[in-house]
Amino acid sequence: MTTARRRRRQEALLPYLLMTPALVLLVGILYPFSLGLYYSFTSYWLQYPKRFRFVWFDNYISLFEETLFDRALQFTLGFTVVAVILQVGLGLAIALFLHSRIPGRAVLRALMLLPLMMPPVITALMWKIMMASTNAGILNYLLSFIGLGPVNWFGSPWGAIASVLIIDTWGNLPFVALILLGALQALPTEPYEAARVDGAGPMAMLRYITLPLLAPFIILACTFRAMDSLRIFDVIYATTMGGPNDATTNLHIMAYQFAFQWYQIGKGMAQAVVLLLLVVLVSYMLMRLWNQASERTRQ
Amino acid sequence: MTARVLDRTLVNVAIAIAAALLLAWTVFPFLWILLTSLKSPGDIISVPPTFIFTPTLDNYSALVIGEQRGQYSSTRPDFPSFFLNSIIICSGAVLLSLAAGIPSAYALARFDFPLKGALAFTFMSFRFVPFIAFVIPLYLVYQQLGLYNTYSGLILAYQLITLPFTIWMLRSFFQEIPLEIQEAAKIDGCTWFGVLTRVILPLSLPGLAVTIILGFIFCWNAFNYPLMLAGRQTFPVTVGAIQFISYEQVLWGQMAAATLISALPQLILSLMVQKYIVRGLTMGAVR
Repeated sequence: MTTARRRRRQEALLPYLLMTPALVLLVGILYPFSLGLYYSFTSYWLQYPKRFRFVWFDNYISLFEETLFDRALQFTLGFTVVAVILQVGLGLAIALFLHSRIPGRAVLRALMLLPLMMPPVITALMWKIMMASTNAGILNYLLSFIGLGPVNWFGSPWGAIASVLIIDTWGNLPFVALILLGALQALPTEPYEAARVDGAGPMAMLRYITLPLLAPFIILACTFRAMDSLRIFDVIYATTMGGPNDATTNLHIMAYQFAFQWYQIGKGMAQAVVLLLLVVLVSYMLMRLWNQASERTRQ
Repeated sequence: MTARVLDRTLVNVAIAIAAALLLAWTVFPFLWILLTSLKSPGDIISVPPTFIFTPTLDNYSALVIGEQRGQYSSTRPDFPSFFLNSIIICSGAVLLSLAAGIPSAYALARFDFPLKGALAFTFMSFRFVPFIAFVIPLYLVYQQLGLYNTYSGLILAYQLITLPFTIWMLRSFFQEIPLEIQEAAKIDGCTWFGVLTRVILPLSLPGLAVTIILGFIFCWNAFNYPLMLAGRQTFPVTVGAIQFISYEQVLWGQMAAATLISALPQLILSLMVQKYIVRGLTMGAVR
């Protein structure tokens, strides 16, 4: 009797025992994070360690008086909306295109993995070479054939915004396309057969069968892309560094600048926390949408 | 009848153009960087950009040896040691994540316990935290503990990338193994350890391989943690490649060669695990 109970108690403890190594690492991760959270409520400035005191929400309140914060927030949100719409829209088009049994599909699909698996900062450096604003830049040279340009890619605000968008899209379009292509290939065939019997055309099938069935995957792709776009850092760091005139400074770059260029740890951490809350809020909303959509398809 | 034939041809031409555009958009940047890496400084700044030139391996030898013949100097970025740093840090991070992640994934896949959902979610959530929120305090703590600019410090920091990924990927692979096999092993007298080492792990070897390879790739791609937490002795290739942008000039040719060399390992690795990449990037959410 007692041995059975002891064994049961051991069974109940076992999963925690198994998780111990990961939990130790988790604590190692959470400790610095909570320390940083604490710093966001202090006036911690590395150059003036004596001024360190607890200032409650001063750092957060002062953010809203900062004109740069306003612009950075706008750029963060605006960039995310445009990037998600562009990448998911084009990604869906590519997925539908590759799904329609075009010749060379397997090769295209494999080649699309290459941009996807590149380190984002390396991708940015590659495009930096191609986007040289001098006449030696290949992109401006190619654009001149269709009567465009030359674009001052990194020197003008809109050029810089466009270049960050193009680079991010090149690296992440395949992600959306591959998720949606995989989903398309796993769709049930019965609805299509029924629709064909009813005489539905290809556009009607796309509108009334494919898109509704694909909705959960489209939302999932939006979620992943939104979370990465809100936090985009590597590409901006390697190309524009937030410039020119802070045109490409998002919250992530701004927090980096406050913490590591001006050593204002308290303010930098406060910006990092605001960005974190933004990511949590957006992902929460998208996950709710995803839940609704996947329940609808299950019915 | 002829109108329909014409229609088909038009559609085929449109499809061919679309496929060609997609191919060019995907491949041309690689091609151009390859060409750039084979050019001499003079050819790189030629106007208009040239496709025909005498190729040279000077940029690659400058990367490996650290100096370049001709009038253009090198910043001596110690690229081979950056490459070695990447290998050391990534292997260490993946191994540590495996050691901690295998038992955790097993617990999350095969046991029911009160905190299960909360723990799984906590690990998942790290995939979405802005790195700066971690790196600011880590930087300060590392300075105090002497972990700044060390391999072990970086391996620990990389756990933010690999540990959540490893746990969720392995969990999704472990869950695919039918419960009956595990029950049969238990009836034969296997303890939990026997079930893990004799049933679960052998049956999920492919999944294990995929997790290792993808985890390695994600570490290799990491840029922002080492940017802040590594120094010149421990820079991985991603941070090393950006050193070619100096205040005086950008060494375009060497930078092109460096981007190709830094990307090569995981371009090869990712072709090996093609089928699983989407699953890996969504942490097992999309199969």
